[in-house]
Amino acid sequence: MKSKSRKNNATVYAVLFLLTALFISPVFIVLMNSFKGNFFISDEPFSLPVGEKFAGFDNFIKGFTQSDFLSAFVNSLLITVISVAGIVLLTSMAAWYIVRVGNRFTKLLYYLFTFSMIVPFQMVMYTVTYLAFELNLNSISGIVFIYLGFGSGLSVFMFSGFIKSIPTEIEEAAVIDGCDPIRTFFMIVFPILRPTAITVAILNAMWVWNDYLLPYLVLGSGEKRTLPVAVQMALTGGYGNKDMGALMAMLVLAIVPIIVFYLFCQKYIIKGVVAGAVKG
Amino acid sequence: MASIKFKNVIKSFDDGKVTVIPDLSFEIKDKEFVVLVGPSGCGKSTTLRMIAGLEDVSGGELYIDDKKVNNIAPKDRDIAMVFQSYALYPHMSVYKNMAFALKLRKMPKKEIDEKVRWAASILNIEPYLDRRPGALSGGQRQRVALGRAMVRNPKVFLLDEPLSNLDAKLRTEMRSQITMLHKRLQTTFVYVTHDQTEAMTMADRIAVMDKGVIRQYDTPQKLYSEPADMFVAGFIGSPRMNFIDCTVIRKGKIFYVEFSGEMMRIPSAKAKNLASYENRRVILGIRPEHITEHTGGEIAEENCVITAKAEIAEMTGGEVNVYFDVGSRRCIARIRTDRKIASGETVRLLFDCNTAHFFDKDTSKAIGTV
Repeated sequence: MKSKSRKNNATVYAVLFLLTALFISPVFIVLMNSFKGNFFISDEPFSLPVGEKFAGFDNFIKGFTQSDFLSAFVNSLLITVISVAGIVLLTSMAAWYIVRVGNRFTKLLYYLFTFSMIVPFQMVMYTVTYLAFELNLNSISGIVFIYLGFGSGLSVFMFSGFIKSIPTEIEEAAVIDGCDPIRTFFMIVFPILRPTAITVAILNAMWVWNDYLLPYLVLGSGEKRTLPVAVQMALTGGYGNKDMGALMAMLVLAIVPIIVFYLFCQKYIIKGVVAGAVKG
Repeated sequence: MASIKFKNVIKSFDDGKVTVIPDLSFEIKDKEFVVLVGPSGCGKSTTLRMIAGLEDVSGGELYIDDKKVNNIAPKDRDIAMVFQSYALYPHMSVYKNMAFALKLRKMPKKEIDEKVRWAASILNIEPYLDRRPGALSGGQRQRVALGRAMVRNPKVFLLDEPLSNLDAKLRTEMRSQITMLHKRLQTTFVYVTHDQTEAMTMADRIAVMDKGVIRQYDTPQKLYSEPADMFVAGFIGSPRMNFIDCTVIRKGKIFYVEFSGEMMRIPSAKAKNLASYENRRVILGIRPEHITEHTGGEIAEENCVITAKAEIAEMTGGEVNVYFDVGSRRCIARIRTDRKIASGETVRLLFDCNTAHFFDKDTSKAIGTV
């Protein structure tokens, strides 16, 4: 009996190991090749960067200097931080209002938010871009509003689910203790929402940071370009002159911040995802 | 320290479509411990929430300390509330939970610390001040909730079924602790419960509510011995009072009550109230503890003995709850006995008319409570 379960466990672990390797392999290949010379990247893409293949940090220096990496990085950082902060703050407040007021208007609002989740970006891509230009939202600060719109559906949905599980008595206790609605939200409700807020922040940060199409359409490939667009530009910079090493290095540098952010907040994401699932 | 006065208070929901409190008028005296008791949905919690300011008053006037508070925000009413689910802030330590209201009032830190430690020492929660509510047991959480209310030194303490989430043993402990707290703080307490034992053991006065109406507002002793109607009589006391259909008969100057083929003389003090009910059907109410087992001897004229089959006999220690039928009514007798009464056994039960209550069959009101 025991040996059978051990055998089963070994099989499960083997499958999980294979799947993990499969998922990690693209990142690992990019990381490996970012330390190799251009010739070896195309000649031996799956070999380790050892011996003569190891190019040190040359690719990183080239990528950093040749592509105006820093300005694209700052643009991406600004857009991501402001958008995510705005999404977390505003959607948590909206969800609190929707759940606690609970009238016909808020129900309609909730359905509109959840409906927006199922509309694919490609369907509204043209109209959004057109509107962004018409309303002068084709700037770093302007695109934040567009992200706020696209990010609010899932965020309101997640926050609403969690807020429903918070007993209203906690908020009533705060009111009796002397809180007005603003204080009740910021001193009581929002701290309780922290696991969900972090989950919402991680999901939105990953999406906004990695997004290519919206910033390309709205901000273009000029000085307002974001990191994914800058990486793309580096790839197509000159015909027949692809610096694959620098490109790999840029990809690594672009991935690092979001991985660090994810690892930092990882312990909260599980809490946030299951929060409100059961009445506790 | 404050009195509370309800003057024709109305509470309705859904733009007046649903009225839960049709017209409520009563007064709670300063330093009094009043319990609002009644079945679920009777409006007791709504009444408490109106005092707290968590529910608007739809009509009438509500006063705290002679000041009309209809439109005054909860924070300005100088009240503190303890909730059924404790309603502690889960992200704050016990200390911060208790200090929160004082911090909002911008009280100096030293004073806050003194007050929190004072309340914590009374409630024996000093060792848990740095813990979060999630790391406490139900009883400890309830004490923290009480402490949070105590530090405010409010005019009125409002407690909404604070013990209903605790186990029976802890509930008994906390019950006495709350009573002692009331004596110590000398503040007005308004306590909501559906448990009549809690109400009887803790209150100075009890308001028995049903469908948004106070059926009787009196001391526990009076509610027990002189219930105003069948609802109160049935609600107060455990097991509940027995109600038996009977007929009032007059023989000369003496009134009797007849039920189950037996006659029982009505004591003269009660008889004068029943004079107008001659030959009419009334409801006789008798508490289970006032029915005894007749083991022989002479039967007084004001008593009667009926022979009944013990449908169920429940042993509860020194007493046996015997369930029997009188006509179509199921009755209970709580008999103090050392002998084992078996289910199905025939028992002779003695009814004492001195302890009986009489109710009008149509209005269910008590007939001239003596």
